Formats: sequence, structure tokens, C-alpha cells
Amino acid sequence: MKKSPETKRSLIRFVTWILSITAVMYVSSVPAQQINPLESDPRAARAGGVLFRSQCATCHGGDAKGITGIEAPDLTLIWAAVGTTDERVFQTIRNGVPGSIMPAHGFTDPETWMLVSYLRSVAATGATEFSGDAVRGSGLFLSNCARCHRVRGEGGSLGPDLSQITSRRSAAALVNSVREPSATIARRYHSVSLVFEGLSAGASGSRQRIQGTLKSEDAFSIQMMDTNQQLRAFMKADLLEFVRESDSLMPAFSRTDLSSAELEDILTFLQSQL
Amino acid sequence: MTFLQRSMSKLARRWLGYLTLAAILPLLAHAQENAGPDYDDILQGFADSERWLTYSGDYSGKRHSPLTQINVDNIQSLRPEWTFQTGTTTRGRGFETTPLVDAGVLYVTGSNNYAWAIDARTGRAFWQYRRNLPSDLTYGASAPVNRGFGMLGNSLFMVTLDAHLLSFDRRSGDILWDVVLADYHQGYAATLAPLVLDNKVIVGISGGEYATRGFIDAYDPATGDRLWRFNTIPGPGEPGSETWPDDPEVLARGGGGTWMNGSYDPELNLIYWGVGNPNPDYYGDLRPGDNLYSNSIVALDADTGELRWHYQFTPHDLNDWDSNQIPVLADIEWQGSPRRVVMLANRNGFFYVMDRVNGELLLATPFTATTWAREIGADGRPIVLNDGSKGCLPDPWGSTNFMPPSYYPELGLFYLTARETCATYVAEEPTFVPGQSSFGGVVFIDGDQGSGALRALDVQTGDLRWEFPYPSPTFGGVLTTAASLVFAGDHEGNFMAFDAVSGENLWHYQTGSRIWGAAAMTHMLDGRQYVLIASGTTLTAFALPAQ
Repeated sequence: MKKSPETKRSLIRFVTWILSITAVMYVSSVPAQQINPLESDPRAARAGGVLFRSQCATCHGGDAKGITGIEAPDLTLIWAAVGTTDERVFQTIRNGVPGSIMPAHGFTDPETWMLVSYLRSVAATGATEFSGDAVRGSGLFLSNCARCHRVRGEGGSLGPDLSQITSRRSAAALVNSVREPSATIARRYHSVSLVFEGLSAGASGSRQRIQGTLKSEDAFSIQMMDTNQQLRAFMKADLLEFVRESDSLMPAFSRTDLSSAELEDILTFLQSQL
Repeated sequence: MTFLQRSMSKLARRWLGYLTLAAILPLLAHAQENAGPDYDDILQGFADSERWLTYSGDYSGKRHSPLTQINVDNIQSLRPEWTFQTGTTTRGRGFETTPLVDAGVLYVTGSNNYAWAIDARTGRAFWQYRRNLPSDLTYGASAPVNRGFGMLGNSLFMVTLDAHLLSFDRRSGDILWDVVLADYHQGYAATLAPLVLDNKVIVGISGGEYATRGFIDAYDPATGDRLWRFNTIPGPGEPGSETWPDDPEVLARGGGGTWMNGSYDPELNLIYWGVGNPNPDYYGDLRPGDNLYSNSIVALDADTGELRWHYQFTPHDLNDWDSNQIPVLADIEWQGSPRRVVMLANRNGFFYVMDRVNGELLLATPFTATTWAREIGADGRPIVLNDGSKGCLPDPWGSTNFMPPSYYPELGLFYLTARETCATYVAEEPTFVPGQSSFGGVVFIDGDQGSGALRALDVQTGDLRWEFPYPSPTFGGVLTTAASLVFAGDHEGNFMAFDAVSGENLWHYQTGSRIWGAAAMTHMLDGRQYVLIASGTTLTAFALPAQ
């Protein structure tokens, strides 16, 4: 029997339907995809970038490095954290972060994977493998750095924790931050100098000068850490002097202070602690 | 008596009872009940010191209260009386509301379309409303804010993040009617406080970051029927369409949101309303021309919605500098003769004074260090120096924004929150997907260079009379009172009072969260003056200690 065009169309519809149902069943039987299906497609990161700039940049910044004053993280650093996977980033974009200002998003799966590809493409690249002497570096770190910097819970708090730093900064950036620490100063580590009237017994009226890092301020007060690593707060009206220093509290280490080989040792030690 | 007779008699008695009740009830109600403010009450503005009946306190948008109990001599004793916790956060934005108050009850809207009636003495709620919002909000998801109720009689009016207008019974919080303003799936939302006129509720719409078309609407307060609509982007062939490409699709997605409150001049019967950015925000190549009426102020006949005049602050905007700021109406002496003016401090960094009868531009001067133009020429058009390609323009949040300013008539000073920012704009051709934003590029904001300030401008010259610096760009609004006081809030969370003449800071209180989009309001109750400010998730009422 010759099939009429009508019957043919119905048959095609039926087969298409069966196929799509099968596809849906197959997809729904697989748990959330764990591998970025667009990983090898170079267009994905580019398309993700367009999407990112229109949908995410308001909080995370056009370069994904976050915006001062908005508590949205620098997304170029997320890959350095232990446990960050493509799938986890996918889920964070999709579901948001409960209890934070990061909302859930209604992007399609391919769009979400494009965003993951884009974030991979802008990930801060960690340093290459250092080849110094980690043991010697450990000693050098203790004598030169540990008063202010911590590694794995050991050391001071005046400067940033360096436990993850070798996976977050390039070798050049790391060297530069030791040789020229004032070139770029991280948020909450800007240096301030204060002068105020001391209140020590019998010595009222004695002026005190302290230095530290500015943690926070409003129109009337400042919150800082002094060089003794004490958290202190002052009313601006009580300060005789309040100077925002352009230089970091961290001394610049020249090649005579710390040779290139010694610096390599320290960085090797830091890398060994990851 | 037959069964039928008995039944009829019973029925008659019952009906007689109903009729009696129906006759008595209104009398009882009239005797016991506050019927709520009518149009004349709102028209009186601040005349009743125990009331604050519309977003800015009166129709003029001055936000200048005549109350003087709290003054420069006693303000050091000002202290919190109570704090109300809303229990709802505002993702990435602020608690932007201005409460209304009548007969000791505050009517307050919150983020995520919560709303409350609150005892103004204790801060305890009579009722709470929470709208069951859809999970696929568009613009409403990125700015889940609301700026307040409108009120008429026993009805309240509130717009929603899914772009509806609701009427409430203010006694119960029950919904009386619910009308759709626009399809939120396309990108629309609504956030402003409705402006209630004589038998009209005026509202605008948000969503200019999406492929939408803005409008200003008037609704019947009793039924929710729409009375008129003014489209901020003209249709093909309509006046203004010559400032756009000859393409209906471009006009249909032209943007021009109307998301902030307007003002009203009852004598001229004109409403004044700011219009937002054209879409796409940063990418202008798809929309050559001035793009009317984006980034303009429009003066509309309140009865018909017909356009009387307009002025465009930023022709062919490329920086998302919506002109949705409060138009401030005042009657001033201008070069020796009385003038009815409208004043507006714009996101583009200029302060404008215009004749509000005909729109004549009287003054335009910059109030921030950075802006895009050298001056506004004699023809009213900006002389642009930097279209953004040379870097360091005011950021997309602008040199000021929707946070209300205040005008102090006796001092001739206009107080505003200024934002000094530095941004670079990189345009990028967008795709237009319904329900997805189309900014058309990206902005790099230099966070290290930002600061803010409360500034007092002389309205005759635009000159800076005084300023109080803030550590960061700020979104807090301003209230002035006739006791020579300025109340303002900043991004670090301080609620502050200043001497209006000298600018000296007299008092501050750390609220614990940035004050964003909200300005204070004030009212009398039991012989005491209260000042209220919304901040973070709280509403706090301040007063002097009870005698």
C-alpha cells in the first residue's frame, strides 16, 4: 500500500517524538554534567565573555576581578581554591550562593558552560614551577617575611596570607611585589600614619605616632591594624594627624637585601606549602 | 398564619434589619473611622504636621519639612526610638523606601515587594504583605527594590517587580485590585512610589536595560482602569521619531524607563517626570540621533498625558545616564523677577534650572569634577569634550542619581549627594533576547578614585556653597527641615545631620548598613518630632528624649 503524504508526516512526527523522548530520558538519567562539553570549542570562551559583560559585570567587573565596594569576589582567583571544578562553577552560576547577593540564573546549559569557559580563560595563572631550595627558603621566609605574613597558619597578620599566593600570581608579579611592594597595594593593606594625644598615666598630652594598615573607614572613624598587629579604631576628630601613605609598610627588598637565588628559594618554599 | 406568611414575615424582618444596619453603618464608620487623606489633603503638603502623604512629602519634590522641634541646639540629644527589622534583604542594592504616615500609622513598602502598616510609636507591625513573585523576574531580579506607597482615602497603591500596580485596603493589607503595567518577561519591572493626584494614580516603569519601551501611565484609583499612557519613545512617524533610525523595531526597544517619581504643579496641572537611558545603554551605533525622549524631562498634562514640553539633558546617551532624578519645583526670584522653576541635578554631572511653564533653560552648571561636557551651549545642547573614549567619565551610576535631593527655599540652596567617579566605557554590539539585558558593552570603574560628598548649591549660580566629603561614592538621599537642618545618609551607613547654612556636621548615627536610595522623612506624633530612615534591612525612627 502506498502511503499518503499525510500518513508519512504522521509517521515522521511519531518517530521524531520517540527520539526526543528517548533523548530527554537519557539526559535526565544522567546526573548533572561534570565536564564542560564546550571545553574544546574556542568560540565558547568568547561568547561567554559577551554574556559575562552583559549579565555579570555589574557586580564582578568587566574584567571579572570584582569591584571595590561590592562584596563580589575576584573570579580570576576562583580556580586557585581547592575543590573548584567546572561543574561546581556551573552549579554556582545556576543556583547562586544562598544567603549572599549572588542570585540564581536562568541561563541555558550551553550559556552556562560558555560562562565557565570564559572564567577558565581569565583565570589568574599561577607561577611556573620554582626550582630553588625549599629548606633554605623556609629559613629565609622566617627571618625576612614571617613577622608580617602567614603561611599555613604560622606567621604574622600585618600583611596578606601567602599560603596560596604562588597559585594566584605569576612569577613576575611575585618577584615584583617583593622588589617594589608599593607599586600595587591590596585592598585593606594601604598604610596610614596617625598622631593622637596619648592617655598614659601622668603623661596626658603626650603625642603618640603610630603606623598601620587601614582596614575600614567612614566619615567619622577609622579601623586599622597597627604595626604591633593590634586592631585599633579612632575617631577622626581625635586625630592630630591622619596621613594616607603612598608607600606600603612592606620594605622593598633590593638584590643586595635578598639575592635572586634567595628569592627563588623563598618562592620554592611557598610553593611547597600549597 | 400560614407557613408562607410566616416565612414572608421573617424575610421582611430580616430585610428590615439589613436596611437599618446599612443605614447606620456609614454613620458609625464616619464617627469612628479616619477616612484617610483626600486629594486636598495631599495638595496641602506639609500643612498637617502629623502626616506625610506622598513620596517627597508634597507635590513639589523639595523634601523640605517645616518642622522645627529638632534644631541645631538640641540635635545632639537625638536618639533612636525604635528599629523595625524587615526580614528581607535587597540583593546588591538598598532599602529605598520613604514611609507615609497618617493617624499614627506608617505605611511602608520594602524590598522584594514586602509591605507593612507599622505603629509609628513603637515600630510594631499591624500587618505585613508579601507578594508571591515569579521566579523568572527580569529587571526586577537585579534591583528588587521599592520606593514607597501612594495613598488616597483608605487605599494604598504599590507597584511590583513583576510590573503590576496594586491597590490595598490600608486597614487590612488586603488587595483591592491588581492590574498589569507591562509584561515582565520582556524586561519590565516597577519600583517607584505611585504619585496620587485628583482621581489619578500616576506610575512609571523600569527596564531600560532590556529591549523595552518606557511609558508613564495614569490609572483610576477606584477601579484600576487605565486613563492614559504617554510613551517615552515615539512610535513610527510620531513627533520625536525623527531623532531615531526609521525602524519600528529600534523604536520598540528604545528604552526610556520612567522608574523614579515625578513631581506635580497643581496650578499648571502639569506633571514633571524624568526619562531614562536609551537601549542599548552603551552601544549607540544602532540608534543614531538624539533618541528622544530618553534622558529628558517631560512636562505632561495631568488630565490627558499630552506632552507640553521636554528638555533632553544627554542627547544620544552612551553612558547609561538616566535622567530619573526627582524634579524639584520652586518659585524663586530669577534675575529680578519671579519665576516658576524646575530644578534637577543629573547623572551627567550638571545641575539644571528651567522655567517649568515652558521649559526654557535658565542655568546648567557642573557639580562634579568629572563630566562629559565643557558646558551647555546657548542652544541648550552640551558641548561634548569626552564621549567616553578618553576615559574617566562619571560611572554609569552617575554624578548623582535617584536618591532624593532637597531644596531649602529660605536659603536658596539645593542639597544633593554627589558622586566623584572615574569610569571607562567599552561599547560592544549586543544581541537582543527578550528577557535578557542588552547593555551593549562593558564599563571599567576605577574603584580607587571614587568618593562622595553632600553638596549645597546656590540655585542662582550653581556655585558650591559647602560640602561634606564621604569616603566613597554614595547613594543616600537628603531631607531638609526649617530648623536649618540637613539630614543625609552615606554609603558607610551613617545617618547624619548638618547645619544647613554652614555645613557643619552636628550629629551622626551608624545604622550598620549603607544608606542606598533612601532619604529621610519626618513627622510629629504626640507632640514629638520623629525622623525616619531606611537602611539595610531596617527602618529606624529617631526622636529627642520624651519630656
